[in-house]
Amino acid sequence: MSRLRTMRELSTLAILAIEIAFFTWYLWPGPGRPHPFLNAANLLLILKYSSIYGIAAIGAAIVIIAGGIDLAPGAVIALAGVVSGGLFVSAHWSLGASVAAGLASGLACGGLTAVLVVPARLPPFIATLGVMGIARGAAFILTEGRFFDVSGALPPGWHVAGLPLDWTAPVLMAALALIFQILMTRFEWGRAVFAVGGNEMAARFSGVSVGLVQASVYTIAGVLSAVSGVALAVVQGQGKADLAMGYELDIIASAVVGGASLSGGRGSVVGAVLGTLIFGVLRNALPQIPGATFYDRLIVGLVVIVIVVMDQVLMRKGDRV
Amino acid sequence: MPAIEFRHLSKSFGAVAALSDVSCAIEQGEAHAIVGENGAGKSTLLKILAGSLQPDRGELRLDGAPAALRGPREAMAHGIAFVHQEMLAFPNLSVAANIFAGRELTGRLGVLRDREMRERARTLLARLHVPVDPDTLVERLPVAWRQLLQVARALAMECRTLALDEPTTSLTDAESSHLFAVLDDLRQSGVTLIYVSHRLPEVFRLCDRITVLRDGRSVCTLPRRGVSHDDVVKAMVGRDVPARAAAARSGTAGLTRLRIDRLTRRPCFEDISLHAAAGEIVGLFGLVGAGRSELLETIVGLHAADRGTIEIEGGRRRFASPRDAARSGVALVPEDRQRQGLFFNLSLAANLAVPGAEARRAVLVGRQERRDAEGLLARWRIKAPSPDALPGALSGGNQQKVVLAKWLALEPRVLLLDEPTKGVDVGAKYDIHAIVRELAARGAACVVSSSDLPEVLAMADRILVMRAGRLAGEILAAGAGEEQVMRLAATEPGAAA
Repeated sequence: MSRLRTMRELSTLAILAIEIAFFTWYLWPGPGRPHPFLNAANLLLILKYSSIYGIAAIGAAIVIIAGGIDLAPGAVIALAGVVSGGLFVSAHWSLGASVAAGLASGLACGGLTAVLVVPARLPPFIATLGVMGIARGAAFILTEGRFFDVSGALPPGWHVAGLPLDWTAPVLMAALALIFQILMTRFEWGRAVFAVGGNEMAARFSGVSVGLVQASVYTIAGVLSAVSGVALAVVQGQGKADLAMGYELDIIASAVVGGASLSGGRGSVVGAVLGTLIFGVLRNALPQIPGATFYDRLIVGLVVIVIVVMDQVLMRKGDRV
Repeated sequence: MPAIEFRHLSKSFGAVAALSDVSCAIEQGEAHAIVGENGAGKSTLLKILAGSLQPDRGELRLDGAPAALRGPREAMAHGIAFVHQEMLAFPNLSVAANIFAGRELTGRLGVLRDREMRERARTLLARLHVPVDPDTLVERLPVAWRQLLQVARALAMECRTLALDEPTTSLTDAESSHLFAVLDDLRQSGVTLIYVSHRLPEVFRLCDRITVLRDGRSVCTLPRRGVSHDDVVKAMVGRDVPARAAAARSGTAGLTRLRIDRLTRRPCFEDISLHAAAGEIVGLFGLVGAGRSELLETIVGLHAADRGTIEIEGGRRRFASPRDAARSGVALVPEDRQRQGLFFNLSLAANLAVPGAEARRAVLVGRQERRDAEGLLARWRIKAPSPDALPGALSGGNQQKVVLAKWLALEPRVLLLDEPTKGVDVGAKYDIHAIVRELAARGAACVVSSSDLPEVLAMADRILVMRAGRLAGEILAAGAGEEQVMRLAATEPGAAA
């Protein structure tokens, strides 16, 4: 089984490689000019922006594997961003305390979802739709429309653990992806997440604590979204209530493109992160193609459908063997 | 001291008593069967043992000590494992992961010891003679092996008691024999077996003692030695046969309205031939899972048949949909009124108008619809506040009458009924029987499929018995006894003669 799963991640990686190769070829510049897409600064830019999606997509993938859905990531990203940004810039809290408060806001959102889904038995779609509204609303109420310039308030030359500032979020994403990939594939908890998503009734009969597993995935997803939000505020210097609008759908799409099945029980954390990179590259490269500006959302939509259809066709083929 | 003892257990769901004062003791190391008709309380008893239901009164004793189990985990802690009737597997996980689900072998902090689980799974599968790689995804396994996986799960937890609920429902004969060989092995090694079934040959093949449940009560516990199939059947059905109202009807059968010949849809049913004439009520009896629902659904075009023919009044037909069937005067009253029979979000008037409007491609006219509904409600004596009421406001029996009435509005010439009185009270049952008889008297051909034996005996002119997807025999209702029919439905072909 681990072999199969790795294969699915490799195919997502292959799509990413093909995509990069395509844009490298398509955007090849005239002689003597620098490549507009394939250069270190641009690739770092892609990584930097994708990691905001990517960190939250780790949580989204886990929720989807457990058979649920989370619509709140975009709003939680914004809330965590303004909480830590606001406390740091306006209330002059220390950086550590501000970050902790931002993460706590995500924990609260995730915890609220867990309460709504597990003891109150709301369908996850409805529960997280509500939490999405609450988190976004709280962000607006807290900021009253203000913008927090976190980078301006940071000491000059500040960085985390010797990393250049721009590298912080990508490295954080990679580290979290690795940690959760191992938790999901090598630990009892991860196995329970797959079991609950695969067949909730059977999980119950097997003695899996279904409620605890469900509560844990929503809580983790809330905290991971908050990590995204804090990264957005501290590392990229932005704290504003209307940031990350609509991210939840891109994040869900990334998880699905990375192999997660919305009926639960299937998917991978690393796949979801690779999925955000596929979209990150699209968002970065398409505007550089003359005339493609108005087509990028359309193309993103088509890519989701094509990849998922391909996946299903291949799976059905695999079944027949 | 019995290993497991049920003492005076009672359990009700609303007004329905699923168990009343059931007692039964199971000794360590014996194979104990619990038999009874559908609805006799077998599943409820098992659920109490599994800890997923709590009894209202009475107690469960394990090794002589009272035990109140509050969930599967606690049952497992007492060494009790289950093989469920439903396929409780994780299709998305590997065979090894399925075997150890919920009880993974782990190291520190919950790290999975994958290699060890894989090796133990390999050993267990070899013991069960299942030639499957532990890494295979379960969704790629045939159904029978998924069933054996549940046994492997039980072995992996080194259970002392294994309870099996109708484990052979979806298995072929060869697969069942395989399962029994495995169970024999287990019993040799001292595991207590609780075997719930209504298939007597299996019970006699495997078990030392047999407890019979009937209508939620424990009737008796018999040793296998010294009793016959007939004794057990008698205990299972032993009740007064209701007066046969059908016998009073004239036996004159008219034109053959429905004839099916060697109709087959694998794996549900095979080579079913039957006919029903105008004015005739044909009973179709069989246990749950015998393929009756699938047969009726195939006739009206909900499923495609593999082969075989359907003739309506002499003309060969193959319906594409129930609408298509309704246009030819063939209607199916489905088994599950909650899911298949009614729109609970629509008024009675709208519910009653649907099949007619669909079949005639008619435009719905509110006032007409309401007037028709009033007529139907009055005509079939349905107790409803008004045609605008929602079906949820009606009793189960009256809901079922609405399902019947909506099809009767079409004046069907062939009426197929699947469990027409499931879960309705005695009064409504009587009314429904009267409605079907009236329809037959007016020239319709009716096929009544039921697992309720007295009902079939009371209504039908002829009884066809289905077992495991095949016709097991045909009996003229006049003179048929419950035991004769039950024996056909529950025994192997050879034993029936």
